[in-house]
Amino acid sequence: MVREVAESCVDTMLMEMVAMYSGRFYANKPELAARRIEAIGYQVGHQLSERYTMERPRFSDHLEAIKFICKDFWSEVFKKQIDNLKTNHRGTFVLQDNKFRWLSRVSVEPSPEKETEDPSTPGESKAAQAVSMYLYFPCGIIRGVLSNLGIPCAVSADISSLPTCSFVIRVKA
Amino acid sequence: MIVCVAVVGHQNNPLYIQSFTEADDALKLHHIVHCSLDVIDERVNNPKKSGTTLNEAFLGLLYPTLNYKVYGYLTNTKVKFIMVTTDLDVRDTDVRSFFRKFHAAYVDAVSNPFHVPGKKITSRTFGESVGNIVRSYTFN
Amino acid sequence: MAPVGPRSGDAIFSSIDRVNAELFTLTYGAIVRQLLTDLEEVEEVNKQLDQMGYNIGIRLIDEFLAKSGVSRCVDFKETAEMIAKVGFKMFLGVTASVSSWDADGTCCSIILEDNPLVDFVELPDTCQGLYYCNVLSGVIRGALEMVSMKTEVTWTRDVLRGDDAYELQVKLLKQVAEEYPYKDDE
Repeated sequence: MVREVAESCVDTMLMEMVAMYSGRFYANKPELAARRIEAIGYQVGHQLSERYTMERPRFSDHLEAIKFICKDFWSEVFKKQIDNLKTNHRGTFVLQDNKFRWLSRVSVEPSPEKETEDPSTPGESKAAQAVSMYLYFPCGIIRGVLSNLGIPCAVSADISSLPTCSFVIRVKA
Repeated sequence: MIVCVAVVGHQNNPLYIQSFTEADDALKLHHIVHCSLDVIDERVNNPKKSGTTLNEAFLGLLYPTLNYKVYGYLTNTKVKFIMVTTDLDVRDTDVRSFFRKFHAAYVDAVSNPFHVPGKKITSRTFGESVGNIVRSYTFN
Repeated sequence: MAPVGPRSGDAIFSSIDRVNAELFTLTYGAIVRQLLTDLEEVEEVNKQLDQMGYNIGIRLIDEFLAKSGVSRCVDFKETAEMIAKVGFKMFLGVTASVSSWDADGTCCSIILEDNPLVDFVELPDTCQGLYYCNVLSGVIRGALEMVSMKTEVTWTRDVLRGDDAYELQVKLLKQVAEEYPYKDDE
């Protein structure tokens, strides 16, 4: 039997991890916070790819590995598949999730412990900052999976049309 | 009986090697494992020549020597598993099932948050479970 | 007296949204490892894991109260039982037991035989002082503080350190009267 935990455990843990790095440790150095959060995702992706590819034959090309992320991997982690996959056939892939589960379940308000508002940053942009900080984690996961499958790449997230979230993968030549 | 097993990383860096004989032939076995890496590379680069299904992790018999049979397995993450046995009459299904268990033990070992990818596997739990898997297989 | 809540969290656990525990386990492991790299001092890592747990506990208590139907204002003894029997089950899918009560009922042990946080984990020799599961003690402390119980939670047994179970000692320091939380300010 597959071991399970409440989804809220994962949600709250991720929120607090992001709050810890971007709020407590590197409040004034967002790029350092981003790098640490991405690194945590990378390790998780690296390990999950090892587990989730165990029963399948080796992928013969990049597209097959990307499709694995879109279907099997996404289903395991987010209980749904990627809704749309685009590629320019020159090493760039765009994975579009029309309702990215972590964005709909995770609130980005600051943790209850620090409620002081910084008057210089309007609430909206602060929330947007928190979301983009948070997205470094799934980006790291994707990069970790692909790198372990022998595909070095850079991954970024685009949330210009929420709740849709697009992950852009650029494979390094 | 299985006399040696090994796990080798994608840059042919040894991650784990263990022999299971009382005889003083560890060096010879290590040499056999080393030679088998080239056979795996060749198999994978020229898939048509091999008898196994395309891209299946199990690579089958890599080569027989006078006293041993050497089998290989290659994961999606380019990790090689090698097994050397003295049994001569071996069924593929048994070897496949051996490699699946060996692979599962490896996956658990690298799921340890303190394992550093590409570094040798020093986990005692891994060593013990590999030992148990090896002892549970006699192919004849 | 009416029972304060369900006898176990089984029914709640089977009805809530669940995920594959591997994601949870590996993510927590990656956080611990990253903290060890960034903070260097194991003691400081313990502190941050506890702080992280405290913040998680503050968030999870509402879900716990809403889904378990546990009425508030129960005494510390019942509270400890609820955490062990319902809380651990409903969030982590494991059962815990309560034992070792002291004479005045303000200190007990919560014992976990199974713990999804540590699947796959083997501590390296370099971080022997690490309380790997310290997030859990923080969660309990944070959650209890939201129901007006100030506690001190410490690890007394840890399988990763060679013991035969996971045991947390929960000590009630102060119970604030629930009915008038803002009385002093008025």
